[in-house]
Amino acid sequence: MRLLRRIGSRLATTALVLVGAVALVFALTLVIPGNPAQALLGPRATPEAVQAFSHAMGLDRPVAERFALFLWNVLRGDLGNDVVSGRPIVTMVAEVLPYTVSLTLSAIGLAILFGVPLGCYAATHPGSLIDRVAAAVSIGFIAIPNFVVAILLLMIFSVWLDWFPVLGVSRSGTLGDQLARLALPALSLALGWIGYIARLLRASLLDVLGEAHIRTLRAYGVAERVIVYKYALKPAAIPTVAVLGLGVGRLLGGAIFAEIVFARPGIGTLVYDAIASRNYPVVQACVLVVVGLFTLTNLLVDLSYAWLDPRIAKAEER
Amino acid sequence: MATLNRRQLLAAGAALGVAGTSFSLPVLAQSGRKSVTLALPRDVQPPFDPLNRLSFPEGNLLRVVLQGLIAFKPGSFEWELSAAKRIEQVSDTVIEFELKPGLRFHGGFGELTADDVKFSFERAIKPGADGKPVLYSTDFAALEEVEVTGTHSGRIRLKTPAPALWQVALPDISGLIISRKAYEAGAYRADQPTKVIGTGPYLLKEWRPNERVVLQANPEFQGPKPGFEEIILRPVRDSKTAELAFRADELQFTAIEPANAADIAKIPGAKILKQDSINFVWIGVNVEKPPFNDPRVRRAIRLAIDVDQVIEGAYNGAVGRAYGPVAPGLLGNWKDAPRHARDVAAAKKLLAEAGVPALRAKLTLLNKPAYQNAGIIVQAQLAEAGITLDLDVQEGGSFWSAGNGEAGKNLELSLQRFGGKADPSFQLQWFTASQIGSWNWQRWNSPEYDALFAKAGGVTDPAERARLYIEAQKLIDESAAFIWLTHEVNVYALKDWLTPGILPNGDDQLYNRFSPA
Repeated sequence: MRLLRRIGSRLATTALVLVGAVALVFALTLVIPGNPAQALLGPRATPEAVQAFSHAMGLDRPVAERFALFLWNVLRGDLGNDVVSGRPIVTMVAEVLPYTVSLTLSAIGLAILFGVPLGCYAATHPGSLIDRVAAAVSIGFIAIPNFVVAILLLMIFSVWLDWFPVLGVSRSGTLGDQLARLALPALSLALGWIGYIARLLRASLLDVLGEAHIRTLRAYGVAERVIVYKYALKPAAIPTVAVLGLGVGRLLGGAIFAEIVFARPGIGTLVYDAIASRNYPVVQACVLVVVGLFTLTNLLVDLSYAWLDPRIAKAEER
Repeated sequence: MATLNRRQLLAAGAALGVAGTSFSLPVLAQSGRKSVTLALPRDVQPPFDPLNRLSFPEGNLLRVVLQGLIAFKPGSFEWELSAAKRIEQVSDTVIEFELKPGLRFHGGFGELTADDVKFSFERAIKPGADGKPVLYSTDFAALEEVEVTGTHSGRIRLKTPAPALWQVALPDISGLIISRKAYEAGAYRADQPTKVIGTGPYLLKEWRPNERVVLQANPEFQGPKPGFEEIILRPVRDSKTAELAFRADELQFTAIEPANAADIAKIPGAKILKQDSINFVWIGVNVEKPPFNDPRVRRAIRLAIDVDQVIEGAYNGAVGRAYGPVAPGLLGNWKDAPRHARDVAAAKKLLAEAGVPALRAKLTLLNKPAYQNAGIIVQAQLAEAGITLDLDVQEGGSFWSAGNGEAGKNLELSLQRFGGKADPSFQLQWFTASQIGSWNWQRWNSPEYDALFAKAGGVTDPAERARLYIEAQKLIDESAAFIWLTHEVNVYALKDWLTPGILPNGDDQLYNRFSPA
């Protein structure tokens, strides 16, 4: 019952966040200069065509009416039609969303796969050569912009070594080819996060390893490896999991550059094209989807705290 | 409640990464020289309808799936017969045509007949089912009707003489013939994007949004066999990525930045194709806004700018200088246009005479590197003549609205780039009085120019048309409201075994004319 109450409370907050985000995006589209109909139709457009297009986009309606209509349609699961092609936006998003989700999950997976062991090793061997090298490399990866990393990866692994393809998604359809085409985009997104997770986990693990119950375990002669992986890692992972929740949002945003640089289909390229052409309905829909995924992830992360550290659940019950 | 230990947690994280890959979709294999992969600057957008297309990527796709009565030859704006066996201008307002018999629309939509030609062309002058005109209705503005005189023959009747029809409509996208039956069965619409029924050399086999377009040779096509069994078009927005993909042989043809041509030419098996463009780039001056309404001020600005230096700096010297909007080689090109040279002293004198020795002006320009560099150079040049120039760099959406409506009245100087077409009427239409508030950002109003432009549009004798368009350009020059910079250049990287099919403006490409060299 308490769990259901907690989920209900979080869901209500999530809904408020979504409405707020939609309102913000809607407001932003109002203040950006330029006539979207003109931008879409280009130099050959006649004033009549611009006017007709403005009407089709609903730009001649009062702002409040446009916003209310948009919200109502969203609640019904109708994101409208693309003003350029007339296609349902839900279809357009559904076509590309799997690519973005796969890229984001792969990047998160790589970040966990490499970041967690690196953080554990650094925490259990503080001051060692590997710890110091890992710190320097991690900070380097965090500091270098993702698009620079992406171009470097392409130069090294695709052009010079010819290990991975440059463009987009799979051409042959084999699992190996799909993985090969996913590897560099995912790695370019993940590298910064590997360093981030490693540094964060190292710090929190060092804190936990200094706590009284760990000293007790050591006094009982429990092996250090068991102490770290069985008793310390779980509570130490809470800050990392919290950051990963936020990271999903950052990675969804970062996927835009990866999709552009690696010429992959996805929400990123869809929203990039839509912004360039002032295709507001598509921009709004894409932002809504990204915000929805982000808030959903954070909801799951929020709920996972109680599982990772029962003290949190108990504190909430009080 | 089931518990999850740390190992399971880590395993789940790793599994998520691997599982994510399962979303990727299977695609088609490319084999040998039967297939070629070309870069698109952006993804195509439905509807794939010749009269409601968005721009040139969609147009290029339609060119090879459909056929017109006539079609452009690669590398020129000369045309050759396509679906027509014969076509002839029998009077100023009548064009007779006879179709090749036996041209069949794929998908079982029957033979291409004169009725399909009538349906295709008359769509341009009749509102659609939704009551709206098609987007490219102006291409057929002079059309009165298409009269069907037989299964394979007909007459195109015009309201007024329209020589531009032979360049802007008939051999181009708007003149492509669709199937009436297929249209009535829902083809060419956005909700069924791949249902593009034609008689052309290729079929639209597949379109995966933001991923690729696959064109497959049409086995029923009754013309020269296209160079490749399959053409794959890949949207690559980032020019650096396109270059890297070309180096890795994932693309066999892509547009590149002119500055990178020398470097790419060193790649084994690569060659560079450089082609002068017919687009036009210029600095326009708003003749309505003081003090630019004084011709002496406009002449001073023109005298203060060294165009050769601007294009050397902005384009690394890779492009030639323009002396008017109509590029060399096109009808109406003004070969003897004045070569305005820089004269700072004369510019200062004119400004003093106009009473504005310390002029401050604003140049509005697009946020593209070449244009920004041009802006910086012009800024430095005008400073020498005592003119302080502020640069107002804008992104596409706001820039292309800057000269429209009331906002256009406040524009001062603007650096613009318009695309060119084969007929000079296309290039010169933007400077008529009716375009003030739309695309005539100079707000230049010359009834004499408008009369010449209108007259030339109805003249069928090419020499007389050219003379009238040159006279019109003389008026443009006298206004001193236009400082022509360049017609630009198109640079492509391609494999040395590939012969491309490109029209002179660079944007328009004939995929069926791409072939192994």
